[in-house]
Amino acid sequence: MKRRYLYSWMVLFLICSGLSRVGVADDSLAVREKPFQLVRAEMCESIENYEPQYIAAAFSIRIGRISCFTAFEGVSETTYVQHRWYRRDELMTAKRLTLKPPSWATYSSIQLREDDLGPWRVEIWDAEEQLVKTLRFSIVN
Amino acid sequence: MSSPGSVHAMAFTGCDAMNSLFTFLQSIRWQDLVDVLLNSYILFRLYVLFRGTNVIRVLVGIALLWIFQRMAVALGLIVTSWAMQGIIAGAALIIVIVFRNEIRNVLQAKNLRALLWDFPQKAVRTPIDSIVEGVYELARTRTGALIVIPGKEDLDEVIQGGVTWDSLISKEMLLSIFYNGNPVHDGAAILQDHRVKRVAAILPLSLRDDLPQFYGTRHRAAAGLSEQSDALIIVVSEERGQVVVAQAQSFTPIYDNLSLKKTLAAHLGVGCEDDHGIQRERREMVIAALICLFCMAGVWFSIAKGMETLTSIEVPLEYLNRDAGMQIISTSVNTVRLHLSGSSALIGSLRPDQVKAKLDLSKAVNGQNLFPLSKGNIVLPPGLRLNRIEPPEVQVALDVPTKKELPVQVDWVGSLPDSLILESVSVTPNRVVMVGAKETLDRISTLYTAKVRLNRIDASGQLAVALAPKPGVRTGNDGPSDGRVTVRFVIGRRGGGE
Repeated sequence: MKRRYLYSWMVLFLICSGLSRVGVADDSLAVREKPFQLVRAEMCESIENYEPQYIAAAFSIRIGRISCFTAFEGVSETTYVQHRWYRRDELMTAKRLTLKPPSWATYSSIQLREDDLGPWRVEIWDAEEQLVKTLRFSIVN
Repeated sequence: MSSPGSVHAMAFTGCDAMNSLFTFLQSIRWQDLVDVLLNSYILFRLYVLFRGTNVIRVLVGIALLWIFQRMAVALGLIVTSWAMQGIIAGAALIIVIVFRNEIRNVLQAKNLRALLWDFPQKAVRTPIDSIVEGVYELARTRTGALIVIPGKEDLDEVIQGGVTWDSLISKEMLLSIFYNGNPVHDGAAILQDHRVKRVAAILPLSLRDDLPQFYGTRHRAAAGLSEQSDALIIVVSEERGQVVVAQAQSFTPIYDNLSLKKTLAAHLGVGCEDDHGIQRERREMVIAALICLFCMAGVWFSIAKGMETLTSIEVPLEYLNRDAGMQIISTSVNTVRLHLSGSSALIGSLRPDQVKAKLDLSKAVNGQNLFPLSKGNIVLPPGLRLNRIEPPEVQVALDVPTKKELPVQVDWVGSLPDSLILESVSVTPNRVVMVGAKETLDRISTLYTAKVRLNRIDASGQLAVALAPKPGVRTGNDGPSDGRVTVRFVIGRRGGGE
């Protein structure tokens, strides 16, 4: 009787372990589809030593230049992302930035002009044309 | 012999004329008919009330002047038309001044019914036999006499002086008036209706030099009045006892009673011609009424139709009967310009709210629709014609409303002090469901708030901010009830610390 219970537990264990292996396989597939993880994305006034300075949600036009800083981990292969800069739903510029394994930080910047006032957003897109993140901010006086 | 082409051309011209006539008849409003008929009746009543007076003659003269003035305007004779206009204005004033007595008599002596409706009856029959007998008794006794029997014209302006008598006509009365011992035997007796109205009246003397030598002052006076009026004047010569009738500038010697009776009957329109007289009067009235109608129709054509005016007006285009499940995404126009024509009076009184442009969308389908605009789309007041519509067609795009969830972003304006920095912002809810046409929603990727001024902010906090409206879309039922979102913000200091 005890032996029968033991066999039953063993079969159950094998089934569960098999299912968990299938799940791991699926996760690994998902990781392969996204060969990086975005760990940080900030709008800032400047970058110093690959560190964003004066992170904010509104920037005065007087500072003349702003940047979008992004940091990635788990970059499995060399790929790229795009920083797409929009002012009020109008695409102003798109910058392609290369990512290299295993971790990578990169940024794009724009020069501010008088008629750049208003709400902005930067969309970060991967090489598969998937939207990764959107950063929203404003250019003010 | 006409070729087939010319036959077709003639047929086309005839058809064209019929169409023009039909269009013209269609353009006549009931107000126009009332206008013409009412003014025709007023003119006819003026004729009825003033006929037999000199006012009518002057009115006819003014009417002729007005016709000349219109012709001068049509021919472009500026000075002539201006002068005619001045004369007409002056003549209207002169009528009132010169004929004030006649006008007063008409207005005072008649009641309202007489003014508006009644036809003045022909004068009560003058007793012809009494006059004939009296005249021949005067002739037989060689008693000089001057008897005036007025026609249709008024004699007040021509005859001077005299004594109001107002007695019934009889042979004896005539004999006594012209009896030598009577103080009023000199001068003329005016017989009107069945009465002796005035005696010892002074008639205007004729200046003719072709009158016979034996004609005296009585004959000259009779000639003078016959020159200036349609009256019949009987002259009985004192010296020769001869009876002479003066009428229309001519003298007719009367040798017997019968001739005088016939002459008087013909002048007064009585006797055996009674029925003819009534018929003649009725015919005269009908002709006068028709002339008044034609004159007024002419005036109406000249004023209302003659001055055809063109205008253009811009009116909003109303879209009607849209399927409730669909929404208008875009239209090529929202207003249309209508080119209209009509009389200057109608064009001048045209109000924008009297003109409407409507487009029925009951047959519109999802997507782009092209509708031609025609007269059926335009509502105009009667009497105006539509010549052209700009643009001739309208493009309308319809779509079925859909939902879309949109992120919300704060629209910051102004500036923070240099020492402060807006470190982070969060919006609740950060996404809102909007409802609208799919095509419109596809073009929208972000919902912005109303502008939020940074100048008024010096520390972290939160604000309730309205969403900026987007044309063509609205907040869904599960969106913020008051259309506001909550904005939380963190203010930091440059160099560290909040």
